[in-house]
Amino acid sequence: MSIPKLEFPPFHLPAEAEALRGEVRTFLKEVLPTVRSEDRFASWNTFSPDFSKALGKKGWIGITWPKQYGGSERSFLDRYVITEELLGNSAPAGAHWVADRQSGPLLLRFGNEEQRAAILPRITAGECYFSIGMSEPDSGSDLASVRTRAEPVPGGFRVNGTKVWTSGAHRNHYCIALVRTSGQHGDRHKGLSQLLVDLKTPGVTIRPIINLAGRHDWNEVTFNDAFIPESCLIGNEGDGWLQVTSELAFERSGPERFMQNFYILRELVRVLGRQPAKRASSVLGRLVARLWSLRQMSVAVAGMMQGGKSPAIEAALVKDLGTIYQQDLPEIARAIVESDATTDDDLADFLDVAQYATMMAPSYTIQGGTTQVLRGIVARGLGLR
Amino acid sequence: MDRESRDMLLETADRFFTERCGRAVVNDVEKGVWPADLWREIEEMGLPLVAVPEDKGGAGGTLADMLALLRLAGSHAVPVPLAETALANLLTAAAGGAPKPGPATLALGNLALNGGRVSGKVERVPFAAVSERFVGVIGGALVVVAAGNAKIDAKPNHAGEPYGTVAFDNAVTEFNGASPVSADRAFELAAVMRAMQMAGAADKVLATAVEYCKQRVQFGRPISTFQAIQHMLAELASCVAATIAAAEAAARDADEGGLVDGGRFSIAAAKSQASEFAQRIAAISHQSMGAMGFTHEHILHHYTRRLWVWRRDFGSETFWGDKIGAAYAKAGPDALWASLSASRYAA
Repeated sequence: MSIPKLEFPPFHLPAEAEALRGEVRTFLKEVLPTVRSEDRFASWNTFSPDFSKALGKKGWIGITWPKQYGGSERSFLDRYVITEELLGNSAPAGAHWVADRQSGPLLLRFGNEEQRAAILPRITAGECYFSIGMSEPDSGSDLASVRTRAEPVPGGFRVNGTKVWTSGAHRNHYCIALVRTSGQHGDRHKGLSQLLVDLKTPGVTIRPIINLAGRHDWNEVTFNDAFIPESCLIGNEGDGWLQVTSELAFERSGPERFMQNFYILRELVRVLGRQPAKRASSVLGRLVARLWSLRQMSVAVAGMMQGGKSPAIEAALVKDLGTIYQQDLPEIARAIVESDATTDDDLADFLDVAQYATMMAPSYTIQGGTTQVLRGIVARGLGLR
Repeated sequence: MDRESRDMLLETADRFFTERCGRAVVNDVEKGVWPADLWREIEEMGLPLVAVPEDKGGAGGTLADMLALLRLAGSHAVPVPLAETALANLLTAAAGGAPKPGPATLALGNLALNGGRVSGKVERVPFAAVSERFVGVIGGALVVVAAGNAKIDAKPNHAGEPYGTVAFDNAVTEFNGASPVSADRAFELAAVMRAMQMAGAADKVLATAVEYCKQRVQFGRPISTFQAIQHMLAELASCVAATIAAAEAAARDADEGGLVDGGRFSIAAAKSQASEFAQRIAAISHQSMGAMGFTHEHILHHYTRRLWVWRRDFGSETFWGDKIGAAYAKAGPDALWASLSASRYAA
């Protein structure tokens, strides 16, 4: 039979990465006790410049980048371990998250020297934060249909249009916007470019979009004849689509796709007590086993990427399965806690936390490529389309 | 076994299973026919001795080599106790015994050894009705009992394989040596063996469903072109991928950590995961193949029925979930991430 084999070759994170894990744990043990628990639960959604600066001081932001920009030129797997530890210990890592994961790497790969020198050292110091300017009111999963237009004018571009779901735009420094710089709306992938936008630019208006949990993470970012200098074009004019798809690849198979609400599992262990009934322990153990399996998949993908492969289908599978796990977790946990919590106080506290997790859960299978987009990618990989 | 030798073994075995272990053979076993020729050829190839040292007549492979072969066997629904015999032989050789030819199986359960004789009863022993000897671990002893000295109550499993209950009543042993592993450990090794067979079967289910949907034409086009079908098969792929990744990681950890206690947690997690996803894999594949896949004539049930049986063999997701959950609860919330990230019951 001719379908491609799904392989997840077991991979060991190297000894240097495991040694780094120990250092990160020691650091987190020192700083986390002073962080409010609701900020820890929100983890990569929690904006904490203090935490990001402290992490930057340790050299743990942009750790793979060249030393001249404040990086340590360490491996992608070292970064993987840092990400795991931040999530596994529910650290408030939201401020620098996007800059470290995708904006910095994008500038490193496609940006010019002026951009790199000006921005990357500030990112690695934990002082400079980014938003993603991809989605628009009429462009979600179908990103190539973006309408925001950057019209070439002397010395730069005049930008008009609207971006939405722009997380953190109200407190971040920059946004990398995907815009049309040439051609017509119907040209799809052609004529798109990426611009580095200072969010304080005149003509850029930021308005909150509150999510169903009452949180202000998202924004609407409106460009009204905003002038963006030519020096802020990232890469080549017209290469935006190529660049943005490579950026999305950074987003897919990391631990944040299955450990975003890891705290639920930890709280479940707490409320079930040290000797739960067999019914409860087997539910807990099955949840642990599913998470462990996801981690094996994700580590295997990281190993393949380190080996120079680009396992796009495998990465999509990790996100599909991982985000569904995160939706199942609070529900399965809630059901068993209702019958098996050790005390009434524990039960009430847990239900509160689980309710928050349940409210956040719909976002997991939407952000960074919906389940349906991912399944389209997998279907293509299986030779079905 | 070096990489090249293992690849060669797997290629040869794959060709052999494809040629000699087709639908008719699997169906005949369900009717109660013992495929004597198939077993003879499997022995001639030395497969049951894959992980027995060369000085005992084996191929000198590792536990990992054996598990890789059994994943392959799982993807062919090989309807003879190759897995059970290979593991029984590995354990017997490690206990200082000399594995004998003939199909063997594992009687892992609550047995007692008194004055060198074995008593007790084990249920759901795989291939009990066709095996020539039973291997068990009792305390520190590994015992081998000939089938003639056991009482076998045949009870085919739901995939039509000759499982059964085995009772020993002061049975004499044909071998009794110091066991290289505890009884619990023998059960773990059997669990990782089944998890790898499940990975093989899951892989075959995916390939079968994908191939079918590309061929099957309805409404004037292959049903694989319908987005509803594409998304079902993509979800199937994710469940299959998790099963494979978990089983392979457990096999690696069991091998690297050594026969005595390598990969204990990984095995538990992998068997729990494989068992839990077996139903989703069966459900989606059957849904995608409609009535055709529900017939006895099609081969899909060779794999889905085995997944349904194997998920209970050597510990279901409830059994292994309880082992993991009890250990994690005991260690408490602050140990959770350290244990999980180290693939251990307690860090």
